[in-house]
Amino acid sequence: MSVSVQAGKGGKKSLNVDLNLVPYIDLLTCMVAFLLITAVWTQLSRLQAQQRGQGQAGEETPPELQTKIVVVVGQEGFSLVVGQDQTPIPKKGSDYDFEKLAAELKKAKDTHPDKNDVQVASEDQIVFDTLIRTMDTALSARFPDISLIDTGAAGI
Amino acid sequence: MPIHAPRAHLFDTVTLEAPKARLTHAGRKSVYEALNLVAYIDMMTMLVIFLLMSFSATGEILFVQKNIVLPEAQNWTELERAPVISVTKDVVTLDGAQVATGDELAKDSATGDANITELHDKLVTLKNNYKLLHPNQDFNGVAIIQSDKGVEFKILKKVMYSAATAGYNNVNFAVKSKSAKPGGPATE
Repeated sequence: MSVSVQAGKGGKKSLNVDLNLVPYIDLLTCMVAFLLITAVWTQLSRLQAQQRGQGQAGEETPPELQTKIVVVVGQEGFSLVVGQDQTPIPKKGSDYDFEKLAAELKKAKDTHPDKNDVQVASEDQIVFDTLIRTMDTALSARFPDISLIDTGAAGI
Repeated sequence: MPIHAPRAHLFDTVTLEAPKARLTHAGRKSVYEALNLVAYIDMMTMLVIFLLMSFSATGEILFVQKNIVLPEAQNWTELERAPVISVTKDVVTLDGAQVATGDELAKDSATGDANITELHDKLVTLKNNYKLLHPNQDFNGVAIIQSDKGVEFKILKKVMYSAATAGYNNVNFAVKSKSAKPGGPATE
């Protein structure tokens, strides 16, 4: 690679200069090698959950005075419990109806805007993927404080 | 019509010697050939930019095991350093060391004893080590559970219970990030 510089007043000497690209190529090669070694190809992250059963973890007001929101995950589908109201959300075919759960949770959030916690109560046979999707749905409905518990601990 | 001996006719019209020599390559040839490095440097530059964009300063906190398929989530937060409990259908490991097998976990369910003794003991040791090494800091009790998406809650429950009894009450589940934006409603 060369850089051409116009010679003034018709001089005969060529003023083409070869740029020394070796250090630049060395630098690029080192950077590529370093970045390839330290590259993180799979972006992993986390979902935070707590283990809080009935009447635990420093609840100041008596449990009976609080409106408890519980998503029960069972073999037949979800059941959303808001205080004393229970809304069954059956499966759509073989899949869980996450859309309806999101809509119901959104309604619950609109009714109780100060409520930030929700309990996800699961049966033993429920697989981890379903639980994560349930917790993700609850987070999308603006319930940042999620507890994952057993159906027995939910006290329903 | 006279017959001439065959000869080269190319560049016959150029009468000057120097240009003719250059055109017919009769001059001395240089043995050096300049390599065109533009394409190579372009490629390297693009590669460096791409790798710099995907560079993560925190490095890799979790190494996903071969037999673990992580679930995906949209509302995720960044990982932090904590003990990693890997759970598959066959084995439970803590930071790579096996602490229970799937058969053991299935057996215990009938007796009602949900505690995994080895996991509990190792977590207690880790907690004590943390307190010794960081005497001025509060113990946050964070553990990361890296579970396969097909694992049943029956197994997870025992792992979580063992972690809780050892003092690790803040359980984080490792997930694959579905969207590019961390936090979401959790950080609002």
